[in-house]
Amino acid sequence: MAKENIIVKILRYNPEKDKKPFWKKYDLEVDDDSTILDILNEIHWNIDGTLAYRRSCRSSICGSCAMKVNGQNVLACKTPMHKFKGNKLKIEPLPGFSILKDLVVDMDGFFEKMKRIKPYLILDKPIPDKEFIQKPDEFECIRESAICILCGACTSSCPSLWANEDYLGPAALLKAYRFIFDTRDDGKDERIDIINDKNGIWRCHTIFNCMEACPKDIKITEYLSRLKVKVLENSI
Amino acid sequence: MYKKTRIFDLNYYKFTGSWAWILHRLSGLALIFYLTLHIWVINTLTKGPDKFNNVMDFLNSPIFKFLEVGLWGVILFHAFNGVRIIIIDFFKGAISHKKIFYIFIIIAFVLWVIGGYRLISHIQWVH
Repeated sequence: MAKENIIVKILRYNPEKDKKPFWKKYDLEVDDDSTILDILNEIHWNIDGTLAYRRSCRSSICGSCAMKVNGQNVLACKTPMHKFKGNKLKIEPLPGFSILKDLVVDMDGFFEKMKRIKPYLILDKPIPDKEFIQKPDEFECIRESAICILCGACTSSCPSLWANEDYLGPAALLKAYRFIFDTRDDGKDERIDIINDKNGIWRCHTIFNCMEACPKDIKITEYLSRLKVKVLENSI
Repeated sequence: MYKKTRIFDLNYYKFTGSWAWILHRLSGLALIFYLTLHIWVINTLTKGPDKFNNVMDFLNSPIFKFLEVGLWGVILFHAFNGVRIIIIDFFKGAISHKKIFYIFIIIAFVLWVIGGYRLISHIQWVH
């Protein structure tokens, strides 16, 4: 396996010492098929143990390691360093969130918004003895939106959210789509009322940063536009 | 805890959608500016024919003809991107939004060249 020299700049911030985040440069040699997470591990384990970042599954399913690399939100474990040309990497925490330490951001607001749209099945009808019957095409409609791993890459990439932190954001709205378009769910009107708000669905200006950032390649903006039509139909 | 106060992350990578959005906002502002100016020019009509003719003479200078060509481009972009946004929001255009953007940009560019030529071709250049 070939080795390669790279220069990594990481935005560091220690709340106990620093007033402002600052850039720190690392020169290191890594395997040429490394992912961003491999590089961070290499730095953390062998060069600078004080670097803080979130990681867990290293197989793009836990959604811990979303961060901004060379100006784009990516999932560190899923992104090979050769996605970016040249041998320079600039790694920053997710934009739009508060920084707790180094690459660790405060996700409380993100999950608070997720809870606001009631991300669970709301039922009026009695629970059937066996399973809920759902036709394949009914499931196909929500299949892609249900695979969201809650990494926050989309919400953090959204310029509407940078300007207004009360905006629900693409991830929460996608979750709303997943339940509103679920044929088993009875909470549609309730959820539509929540997202049909001044900080709701209408703050989506179809900038498509979320769709570019999503590590699961979910067509978020497409689903949000279906939600817009649904909300309109509901209010007529 | 460190909280960023800036409202726009300038060094975030700008994809096609970002450019479309930024240019749409800027062209919108330019159009507001133009419309204000336009109302002011029309307003001079109420101050008698002499005043109006003076203003119109001033606006007939070549520099304003070129600004008009620019205005034509801004209008075309804002109009076509507006249609693109409607297609995205209501006619399932989100998946092919980049394709729609480039097609519309090409159409707008062709119209801009044709219209721009017609706007300046009749100017009598002073030698």
